Amino acid sequence: MRGWAARAPSLRLVVLVRPGLSSPSGGYNVAVARRIPLATLLVLLIAGTVPGQAAVDFHADVRPILSDRCYACHGPDEATRMSPLRLDVEDGAFAPLAGGGSAIVRGKPAESELIQRVETADAARRMPPAALGHEPLSAEDIATLRRWVEEGAPWSGHWAFEPPRKPSATDSRADAWTLNPVDAFVLARLRREGLEPSGEASRATLLRRVTLDLTGLPAGPGELRDFLADRSPRAYERAVERLLASPRYGERMAFRWLEAARYADTNGYQNDRPRDMWRWRDWVIEAFNANMAFDRFTVEQLAGDLLPDPTLDQLIATGFNRNHRGNAENGTDPDEYQVEYAVDRLETTATVWLGLTMGCARCHDHKYDPVSQKEFYRFYAYFNNVSDRGRYYKYGNTPPVVHAPTREQRAQLRDLDERIERLEAESRVGDREIERGLAFLGPSDELDQWAYAERLVARRAFDRTGGAEMAGGNGALVLDGKRYVSLGDLADLDFYDPFTLSAWIRPEAGTGGIVSRYAPAGPKGFGLFLVDGKLQLRIDTSSISDRMRIESVAALPTAEWTHVAGVYDGTRATSGMRIYVNGRRVPSRSLVDESLNSTRSAAPLRIGHGPGPADRFRGAIDEARVYQRAVSELEAAVLAVREVPGEIAELPRQARTAAQHRKLRWAYLETSAPGRESAAWERLRATRLEREDFVASLPTVMVMQERSEVRPTHVLYRGAFDAPRERVAPGLPAALPPLPAGLPNNRLGLAHWLTDPSHPLTARVTVNRFWQMLFGRGIVATVEDFGSQGAAPTHPDLLDWLAAEFVESGWDVKGLLRKIVTSATYRQSSKVTPQALERDPENLLLARAPRERLPAESIRDQALAIAGLLTPDLGGASVKPYQPGGLWKELSNWGAYKHDRGGDLYRRSLYTYWKRTLGPPAMLAFDAAPRETCVVREVRTNTPVQALNLMNDPTYGEAARLFAGRMLHEGGDTDENRLAYGFLLATARPPRGAEAGILRASLNHYRDRYSTKPEDAARYLSSGEYALDESLEAPVLAAYTAVASMLLNLDETITRE
Amino acid sequence: MTFEDQLGLTRRQLLSRSAGGLGAAALAGLLAEDLGAAQGQPGLPGLPHRSPRAKRVIYLFQSGGPSQMDLYDPKPGLRERQGTELPDSVRGGQRLTGMTAAQANFPVAPSRFRFSRTDSGQEFSELIPQIASIADRIAVIRSMHTEQINHDPAITYLQTGHQLAGRPSLGSWLSYGLGSESKSLPAFVVMVSQGSGGQPLYSRLWGSGFLPTRYQAVKFRAGREPVLYLNDPGGFTREDRRHYLDSLAAMNRVRLGEYGDPEIENRIAQYEMAYRMQASVPELTDLSSEPDHVFEMYGEDSRKPGSYASNCLLARRLVERGVRCVQLFHRGWDHHGNLPNRLAEKCGQTDQASAALVKDLEQRGLLDDTLVVWGGEFGRTVYCQGKLTAEDYGRDHHPRCFSIWLAGGGIRGGVTHGSTDDFSYNIAENPVSVPDLHATILHLMGVDHKKLTFKYQGRHFRLTDVHGEIVDSVLA
Repeated sequence: MRGWAARAPSLRLVVLVRPGLSSPSGGYNVAVARRIPLATLLVLLIAGTVPGQAAVDFHADVRPILSDRCYACHGPDEATRMSPLRLDVEDGAFAPLAGGGSAIVRGKPAESELIQRVETADAARRMPPAALGHEPLSAEDIATLRRWVEEGAPWSGHWAFEPPRKPSATDSRADAWTLNPVDAFVLARLRREGLEPSGEASRATLLRRVTLDLTGLPAGPGELRDFLADRSPRAYERAVERLLASPRYGERMAFRWLEAARYADTNGYQNDRPRDMWRWRDWVIEAFNANMAFDRFTVEQLAGDLLPDPTLDQLIATGFNRNHRGNAENGTDPDEYQVEYAVDRLETTATVWLGLTMGCARCHDHKYDPVSQKEFYRFYAYFNNVSDRGRYYKYGNTPPVVHAPTREQRAQLRDLDERIERLEAESRVGDREIERGLAFLGPSDELDQWAYAERLVARRAFDRTGGAEMAGGNGALVLDGKRYVSLGDLADLDFYDPFTLSAWIRPEAGTGGIVSRYAPAGPKGFGLFLVDGKLQLRIDTSSISDRMRIESVAALPTAEWTHVAGVYDGTRATSGMRIYVNGRRVPSRSLVDESLNSTRSAAPLRIGHGPGPADRFRGAIDEARVYQRAVSELEAAVLAVREVPGEIAELPRQARTAAQHRKLRWAYLETSAPGRESAAWERLRATRLEREDFVASLPTVMVMQERSEVRPTHVLYRGAFDAPRERVAPGLPAALPPLPAGLPNNRLGLAHWLTDPSHPLTARVTVNRFWQMLFGRGIVATVEDFGSQGAAPTHPDLLDWLAAEFVESGWDVKGLLRKIVTSATYRQSSKVTPQALERDPENLLLARAPRERLPAESIRDQALAIAGLLTPDLGGASVKPYQPGGLWKELSNWGAYKHDRGGDLYRRSLYTYWKRTLGPPAMLAFDAAPRETCVVREVRTNTPVQALNLMNDPTYGEAARLFAGRMLHEGGDTDENRLAYGFLLATARPPRGAEAGILRASLNHYRDRYSTKPEDAARYLSSGEYALDESLEAPVLAAYTAVASMLLNLDETITRE
Repeated sequence: MTFEDQLGLTRRQLLSRSAGGLGAAALAGLLAEDLGAAQGQPGLPGLPHRSPRAKRVIYLFQSGGPSQMDLYDPKPGLRERQGTELPDSVRGGQRLTGMTAAQANFPVAPSRFRFSRTDSGQEFSELIPQIASIADRIAVIRSMHTEQINHDPAITYLQTGHQLAGRPSLGSWLSYGLGSESKSLPAFVVMVSQGSGGQPLYSRLWGSGFLPTRYQAVKFRAGREPVLYLNDPGGFTREDRRHYLDSLAAMNRVRLGEYGDPEIENRIAQYEMAYRMQASVPELTDLSSEPDHVFEMYGEDSRKPGSYASNCLLARRLVERGVRCVQLFHRGWDHHGNLPNRLAEKCGQTDQASAALVKDLEQRGLLDDTLVVWGGEFGRTVYCQGKLTAEDYGRDHHPRCFSIWLAGGGIRGGVTHGSTDDFSYNIAENPVSVPDLHATILHLMGVDHKKLTFKYQGRHFRLTDVHGEIVDSVLA
């Protein structure tokens, strides 16, 4: 391996990347690639082809040409290889050709078929073939290839697949400018190009920059004052420590991780209804704040569920790979989307950890990188065994799901459990006590009439003589298959409400409705049925596939009294449905398991009836009940006790069943026990219900869970779900290291493999992404693609050094960031000298600090902070700040956006509710990723839509008004001081003379204008819901508000400096 | 000294200072930008690849899947087969949606509507007499087909060339490749009919995918604020805004002078573009200057902001002003049940205005270089979904064939391309795929669909992926 590490791509290559972005324009424009004056370009181009300079670098200069122009036919994809010649592997490139000679003969371009074929004027022979629509190579590319052959055609494997070796940062102290090893690499590279780095930025600039970078918020005036007052040489390092320790750090680090993880508050696809993944989001914030080692951060998110005895937090972490979109559209084929989800997990994982575009190999072998289609499916197999479903719930979280209480809620739950335990002790009564008490009280109707009644919402006893549970013995409803009993509008329950339906029945036919509530016109409703002798519990909505049904495996006896109960826990899956016969849970099977829509409708609750005339019951029914809760096994057993409590009391103690015993005890406590026990029992019942409600109210999160039975993985022909071919086992691409010995060949093993210290990609890809966060561009600009089509690193040694350090430090993220932000490289001024702009317009070599526009989230957060509006709460359910009216409604018929009130209007932007198919417009305008798929590349554009947003969004109108109030209250007594204070809040520096002049003139102008027309001032001040500060004169406040708005719109304000 | 004097002086001083600070080459770049602004925004170098037949495109997207055999693809022979089972040989084991896959039988539901033949020899349903009246200007394709059977992937496929999220939409490819002809309006505008009901839409359908966000559509909305955040706050006049922008630019120029970052100049230009849009968009969406006969032509609905007819009229005004791509969405064509009534309702909302747009463009001499496309994301099944009666039927999604039409720039009017079998179930001849349609649209716009690429994730992506054959027979 020769020279690649010492030499990054020559400038000319990178300058030419993405020409479409750099077109000058008065319309929409882009900041990704800055405009390059034509003259400069020409100079660079010419300079790039001057012979006699440094040797051609295979990695940086040659492989990109071969990859981009030759691999499609002479590369890894076997199916499209046009001849035996391969140019992606050394063996192939130098092998003898079938027709004699070799494609490449070292040192001899004239004998190298490759050179001859790209150079020839004969269009029929020229490569790439014109006949297939390919353009010839540029003269420059040909010259590069030719020189490379002349220089002996040195070859090596693709750099990113070789493990990083930690280069020594030789002269890190050789220069006064360097502060740490990062700088030595940057400086060495600059010096090679004859460039010098910039000096350090001003202290105020530096504090603002690093505060925004590490916390996403501006430095407050107090922080700025303290920092400027701290004259010690370690002042900056101290500030960095303070920022890394701030809880705002974790929030800021989450910005881009949420995009990589395609986190959203809705499912996406057609219906795009709500889901709840914010507990996962909060896990991310906490993990960053706790500086969780990145290897653990990786393993817990990819495979926390497979760790031994995973904690709740480790399960929550696995929400990472449940953040993908979920399709709930009617009529979708679940198998089709099961494939899409597994592919999404694979692509996301490969992009985030491997920096590889593995998705390209879904339909065919990868065209450029060594990933065959079969290898794709072997990798995919790791993600193909999750026990989720192809068709997602339309509303809410789709299983597998866990309750994910917050720390506070966990404490509340512990408290409830302790209270319950205490009350259980207090209400304990022995059998002897019960008997004594009953003997003392004598026979009691109240006792015998007792029925279990927790959340009982409907009951029909059909008694003539009184006494619960005497199935048939004291009267029953006898039905002939025509008549039924309607109880009216009772038990108005929906598909997320738990319920229990129970009754005694003595059927005389195999089919009929027992207890049900169905709309007269349609199939919407729920009920307990007898179908061909078997019990069915059904929850139905209007469409044919949209229902949940389970059925008992065994048939019931006819002409015999049997207690039946159907229980549903409100989780919208048949896994939450049970059938009980005579108090015992019986085996059942799931018939349909597709709950998507509300089952609620105007309907009567009926006994002996179902949705249709064919569903009427023949036989006898007694004690029909509906509870609005899912009864437990114990309670279900009590429901099926036929004897009334008085009868149980007469049985010898040993002859009582556990259920009878329990029934007697409960009836006694509720009707006959002395005050102390009965009061404790009352409180216990209430507390248990409280706990039940509390648990039901807890947030849930979708998690990973392996299927008990392995889902087979097949190669899918052209990637289509319904074209399975060869079956494959989970496995890793051959071009990457093998699974280390001792690791299981599953997701957990995969996660450990990714974080193995010798892995060539994970650490490089990760440090590169953090570098991008701080410099606006990765050392490898294509942060998502480290493959052969990706950009070559601008500073390969630096990348490897950072990666090696990162691993050696125990994957210490804060440590890595500390290293970078305390470097002289990071601390440079961002001023552009004409020389530097001409030499390196894109600042690839970092002779200055980048001057990046702030990320979308920070632009809004900063405005709220400057205005003093920001609500600092950490975590919690997503919030809805202002959004223009009707945005959701105009694209769908469902869900009006209603903004929150009070403090939730001013939460940090990462908590903004994210509807996936229609994200928050202000975030999208500033280049936030839409969250439909994994995105890791940061982009900055510059458009008029952004200008309109910052000038006219009420968010900023309101912030400007509050900001103006702050200037007036806190800024001193003169306009000059107030304006200077405002300017300082926005930019962390005082205005210069010219700036102060413009601000003052502007303020005077608006003050005159609003004094003449105070009614305009009142209207101008009406943005937002925050109360108007009546202590200030409206024209003055309005004038300051106009200036405040301008300060929030300054290029400097929305830029790092 | 007045503020204006002060500002003027500052500006001059700054300009000279920044010119000195930036160097001559950078100044040349800035001047070039100013020139560019006068002509709109340039596209890629080398584009268009050939002399374009159309400079602008208006896509009238009918979301939900209009029924081809009730509108453009008559099958009179089916009357005799009313209620009979669709032969297995026709269905050929093809995929159905989960909504009808479990149906016990698949009874043939012939169209209830009459068709008539135009002078051009084309056939149209009685539901769309106005479209029939412009038959000689439109080319009907009866043999469109798609690979997607559910709404989301099918619409996404039609609008972005791929069924999954993340690719740029047709309009954003065009604005990326060809740029904009307007200096005060965006290159790509989308409008969604209001109050039409139907399946939801998603912003990815006009999004820029992996292209920079500047290429995504600006959505025009009905009502007081046609573009998000366009209106200045209450109590803040146009003069106030002008003053504000001058001060803001002066402040930004101070910074530019010190930092020399050309992006600051760009920011100033973007704020100026926003200011121009604040004037040009209200002027554009204010229909009060349109004479009565225009409203009569588009139908009474066109007086109702947000209606399909009103959006058609706005589409004409947009292309008049040089907007490259206008995309209309009209929802509610997803007729699983009660099709005859609901389809008639949809046609009532769209027939007259669609035809009026073509005629209006023609009268103004714009049809020659404006391409108009009408169509949905898939067709509907010949077999009935739900209960079939003499009067009523429903149809499920059908990807195997559907009908669309094109008119205007470069299109041969009066032709019908492709045909389907006796059941409008399979294509009998000349199939046209979604990439074929895209390739044809790009071709008419002067773009070689194989050459309009963007490198992302190591690949040179195209709208048409690795497919796409131009449909020559509909070209003039």
